[in-house]
Amino acid sequence: MKKKKMAKRILSSALINAFFIACCFLALLPILYALSVSLDAQGGLLSSSFSFIPKEFTLSHYRSVLVDEPVLTWLLNTALLTLSTVVLSMACSVPAAYVFSRKRFSGRRAILKILLLLYSFPSVLSMFAIYRLMSSLSLINTHIGLIVIYAGTMSVFALLNMKGYFDAIPIEIEEAGRIDGCSDRMLVTKIVMPLSKPTLIVTGVMIVNFVWNEYIFSVNFLTGENRMTLAAGLYSLQATETSGSWPVFAAASILVSMPVLVIFFLCQKNMVSGLTSGGVKG
Amino acid sequence: MMKETSKSTRAALMGYLVSAPSLLLIMLIVVFPIAYTGYISLTNMNTYHWFEFDVIGFENYMRAIAVFDSGFLSALLGTVLWTIVNMVLQLFIAFVIACLLNVSRLPLRNVYKTILMFPWAMPGYVSILLWKTGMFNSEFGLLTRWMRDMTGITVRWLSTDAGAFLTCTLVNLWLALPFMIMIMDGGMKSIDKSYYESAYLDGADALRRAVSITVPCLKPVIAPSVLITVFTTFKQFDVVYLMTLRVGAQTGSHFHTIITYAYENAFITNNYGYSSAISIMIFALLIAFSFVTNAKRKGEAA
Repeated sequence: MKKKKMAKRILSSALINAFFIACCFLALLPILYALSVSLDAQGGLLSSSFSFIPKEFTLSHYRSVLVDEPVLTWLLNTALLTLSTVVLSMACSVPAAYVFSRKRFSGRRAILKILLLLYSFPSVLSMFAIYRLMSSLSLINTHIGLIVIYAGTMSVFALLNMKGYFDAIPIEIEEAGRIDGCSDRMLVTKIVMPLSKPTLIVTGVMIVNFVWNEYIFSVNFLTGENRMTLAAGLYSLQATETSGSWPVFAAASILVSMPVLVIFFLCQKNMVSGLTSGGVKG
Repeated sequence: MMKETSKSTRAALMGYLVSAPSLLLIMLIVVFPIAYTGYISLTNMNTYHWFEFDVIGFENYMRAIAVFDSGFLSALLGTVLWTIVNMVLQLFIAFVIACLLNVSRLPLRNVYKTILMFPWAMPGYVSILLWKTGMFNSEFGLLTRWMRDMTGITVRWLSTDAGAFLTCTLVNLWLALPFMIMIMDGGMKSIDKSYYESAYLDGADALRRAVSITVPCLKPVIAPSVLITVFTTFKQFDVVYLMTLRVGAQTGSHFHTIITYAYENAFITNNYGYSSAISIMIFALLIAFSFVTNAKRKGEAA
């Protein structure tokens, strides 16, 4: 009797583990395949029997990504765009979020309601109008244009998210500081900012993530290889149905994903708590 | 009294002043383009009428709604179907996986969890392009070759509407499941263990415990995240666009979500007025949705 139960237990745990190994395989399938193709001299194209271990190991695809394609220029462009967007949108929305959380003025509630509605609007839908706006400002095909677009798009999220976090900081702390003789400036720099570090980091990371992964605006608004971002460049590198640059594309994909994967797994814990404790929950 | 008002005016003035840069930026990049889209939707703007377009009233809207084969209604229907199929599959699969992750005696739990998060961590567009080229390319895609080796048939996954729908669903599931699994897993951690123990003593089997304890306890915890996911699925653009719609490399499928439909009309066939009308209607739909769900949530809370 006991033996039978034991056997059943072992069997069920073996089944569950097999199930999870299959799931993990599926989760990694396209990534593993791209990795193996990018390391294989034949690009895995010729052999019909397929194994994930490259037959002829080579780094030539990676070299041709780094040397033949202006990937380093794209990386520089992306870094520049990301940094400027984060600075611009944080500089605008941190004070705004704070004021919306702490001060009371007419129109405040209405503006917050409108912002919540705007948050649900996918910016692709107004891309054509933005295009015309930018071309009348002659900001098409410039990085400044894209920075303004990205910062404006992300400001709605940043404002709402940080406002929610500021709301959760008890105002008594600030009142105590004021009684102890803090000036407005000191109140913000010595009390509010240190307390809201988590939300500042999470919001910043979300903006970085957005700009790093954004392709549709940069593909449509930028022309010329020298101005492209990583996403737009990768998009232009992608193999079509017939062309065979797939191993190079696979190598480029792996290279572009690396930093994102590292950042994700480094701040996985903070991301979850920072997003769930933030403000955009309606 | 006097002093009180001047203090509150000062606060108000400061409020406007400090939030002005952010609000101006949002006005310029978000609000104005939406209003401008509304204006364009009333005109016949297209490639031939780039500067000298005329206001034509609600003709674009009429064309989208009243002309049955305009494509908008079928795109809308497709989007609704897409949202339902994706959400049902996603909730079911995520539930099964999260349940199994919470089985006791699973020493490799954290390893599995970390690996299952990979699709979420990858940049979305990279994953989609890898699926498209690596898995589904009709020459050298991995799944195509496996199919060919097994059945001798070369499948062109993306060339039919149904094929594109299923392929996109698969990719979307792959992308969206990690988040859902994580939410459900977190929710299950918050359920009191003693419920399970007493159910076990009462003789309820694993399935019964999952249906009668886990599901009802989980529902309120995951509801907000599920709602957000419904919205993102409905608004899905990247998967369908990158899989089927790249300029110069259309795959032959006509499967659209409403957003890719609006995009195609603006940037591929250049019917700006018509596309703007579609955009405005989608926005109206989204607003209506969020009002309905908000009202429902408030009703439940009261």
